[in-house]
Amino acid sequence: MKRRWWVPYAFLALPLTMYVIWVIIPIFQTFVFSFTDWDGVSPTYHFIGFENYKEIFSDPYFMLSLKNNIKWLLAFVLLSVPAGLGVAILLDQKFPGGKVYKTMMYLPMTLSFVVIGQIWSWILEPKYGALNTFLRTIGLSNLAKPWLSDPGVVTYALIAAASWRQIAYAMVLFLAGLKNVPRDLVEAAYVDGANSWQRFWYVILPLLRPAMVIAITVSVIDSLRAFDIVYVLTRGGPFYSSSVLANYMYIQSFHNYRMGFGASIAVVQFLITFGFILLYLLNVFKREEKF
Amino acid sequence: MRKFLIVLMVILAFALFAKQKIVLNSYASDPAPKKALAELVKMFEEKYPDYEVVVNTFAHEDFKTLLRTWLNSPDAPDVVTWFAGERMRYFASKGLLEPLDDIFTDKRFDSYFPAAFKSSCEYKGKIYFLPQSWYWWGVYYRKSVFEKYGLKTPKTWEEFLKVCEILKNNGITPIAIGTKYLWTAAGWFDYLNMRINGLEFHKKLTAGEIPYTDPRVKKIFDYWKVLVEKGYFLENHPSYSWQEAASFLFRGEAGMYLMGQFIKDVAPEEVKNDLDFFRFPIIDEKVGLYEDTPIDGFMIPAKAKHKEAAKFFLKFIASKEAQEFYAKSLGRLAANKNVPAPDAHAEKGLKMILASDGVMQFYDRDTNPEMATVGMNGFVEFMVYPNNIDKILENLEKARKRIFKK
Repeated sequence: MKRRWWVPYAFLALPLTMYVIWVIIPIFQTFVFSFTDWDGVSPTYHFIGFENYKEIFSDPYFMLSLKNNIKWLLAFVLLSVPAGLGVAILLDQKFPGGKVYKTMMYLPMTLSFVVIGQIWSWILEPKYGALNTFLRTIGLSNLAKPWLSDPGVVTYALIAAASWRQIAYAMVLFLAGLKNVPRDLVEAAYVDGANSWQRFWYVILPLLRPAMVIAITVSVIDSLRAFDIVYVLTRGGPFYSSSVLANYMYIQSFHNYRMGFGASIAVVQFLITFGFILLYLLNVFKREEKF
Repeated sequence: MRKFLIVLMVILAFALFAKQKIVLNSYASDPAPKKALAELVKMFEEKYPDYEVVVNTFAHEDFKTLLRTWLNSPDAPDVVTWFAGERMRYFASKGLLEPLDDIFTDKRFDSYFPAAFKSSCEYKGKIYFLPQSWYWWGVYYRKSVFEKYGLKTPKTWEEFLKVCEILKNNGITPIAIGTKYLWTAAGWFDYLNMRINGLEFHKKLTAGEIPYTDPRVKKIFDYWKVLVEKGYFLENHPSYSWQEAASFLFRGEAGMYLMGQFIKDVAPEEVKNDLDFFRFPIIDEKVGLYEDTPIDGFMIPAKAKHKEAAKFFLKFIASKEAQEFYAKSLGRLAANKNVPAPDAHAEKGLKMILASDGVMQFYDRDTNPEMATVGMNGFVEFMVYPNNIDKILENLEKARKRIFKK
């Protein structure tokens, strides 16, 4: 059968058109708006060059939001990914009730961030919330804190809430990865006298590399686009101490009517995220060449 | 041919009986005002069966961000709820609102509403805002709690501090406040400023004509600081919405709450009659008594599809019967001046306002929306870190210069 070169493009035409209209063009529009003073309300706007960018880099709240994003990133990569890996290894063992545990661990994944935010707002409520009540009951009342209104801890409280879901996400990726680890390789290592730590470190972990790359990349991107939980739980408050870039952009664009300024925050966020995606893609291409 | 005639008749019948649709987007999401609005709409539909009003209700805080999108959309709703003053003028100045002067063609604005309302409802000589109801702010308190500790409602700042001290010594939080959504803190800013520096100063400040670093502004925070440092405000207030903080008052764990009359909307039945208010205490006898009296009402977007129907609806909303019904169901004061205060509580509020020397709306309705966000964030930061005040005011001043330069 003769292959017609245009067939794949014909099938791609519709999704590609939609992608261009709904994703690519808005990205460029955002770039354009970031050089304007548009308020999102008026029909007209003026180009003001790099004014918005000059302003964001001297804006303490922008810097604070950026710092918080970095905290999210570190926590997601250094805590959620290893925790997800640990849970996946545990649940990969065959034991009675294993499926039930898997389902329970997986449950947070089925909830939307808004629902998770609502649940955690009850857990973290300072006076009657589950966490503080628990701490007081076991005699650790000095650890009880106003988790969502203490500027020093609020970001960590939000990260904890988000990690609940993120760990489950990483776990699913690793569980799928573990299915691809050939049993005979692990058994061969066992026969050769490798102890369980060596089997994990030298056999299983290298084979989990693709899953690891995906888990880390997804976590990085998720940490950079964190918004829902922050918005539901604190709106970035108190006084921006838990703000992240997406939240600060939203408040500037939609509460303060500064679409142009918000767009410049979005552009910075886009560039950071894009950098990480590029790293990921390079990694993927390198591997594809190998095979 | 006969078939054609039948089809034609069906189409004609539809055209004749089709109701005129009015889409109303509303922020009245608390149960009491939501119900009152629904009943009002029903009243309208029963009286004018040719019209059909579709009410879409949005959570209050979401509504504030969504309105901007609706006003710009070609599919704009026909009527929206909103606030009088700067918040309305911001959109009117962008040409996004429909002038409502036609509604008053046979009569004048002042034959419906007090002449004093006009300035809050107009922009460049045209009316853009139809007032529905208004209310007063006051220090709400629990009568039973005050009775229990033998407290009298304070008239002066010293008496007020004494009440706070006694409540605190008895393990009751003197002042409830929930600052998660910021604006509650602005109530304190407004009142302290009006009591210390007076109305003219407050007007100029909200108009952006006075620097936030002015020593007179600093003085507001000296008074405020006393309350913060003595721990009179509800602990962890940035965790709570205004309703969540009000529940401390309703449970009797807090004594007072500086709030608008709408606090009664969310009060449980058994507490409602135990709630009363007093005028914000006098700080400087030489300064007049000024109050916050926000006006709520409706606007028609310039891009609305059914403007004539919308105006017809608003004409009904302005009428005495509609205003009386709404005021009665919520205990607010009707904007229509021919409607008497609906109950004794509202009578008391009205008397307080009539005896005052002047009124404002509210910080976030009197000043530019962006300035309001920056300002209110600063107020909450001050309530948590009172020692940062100089840095906070410098920040506000920087924002004021940039925002009011335009």
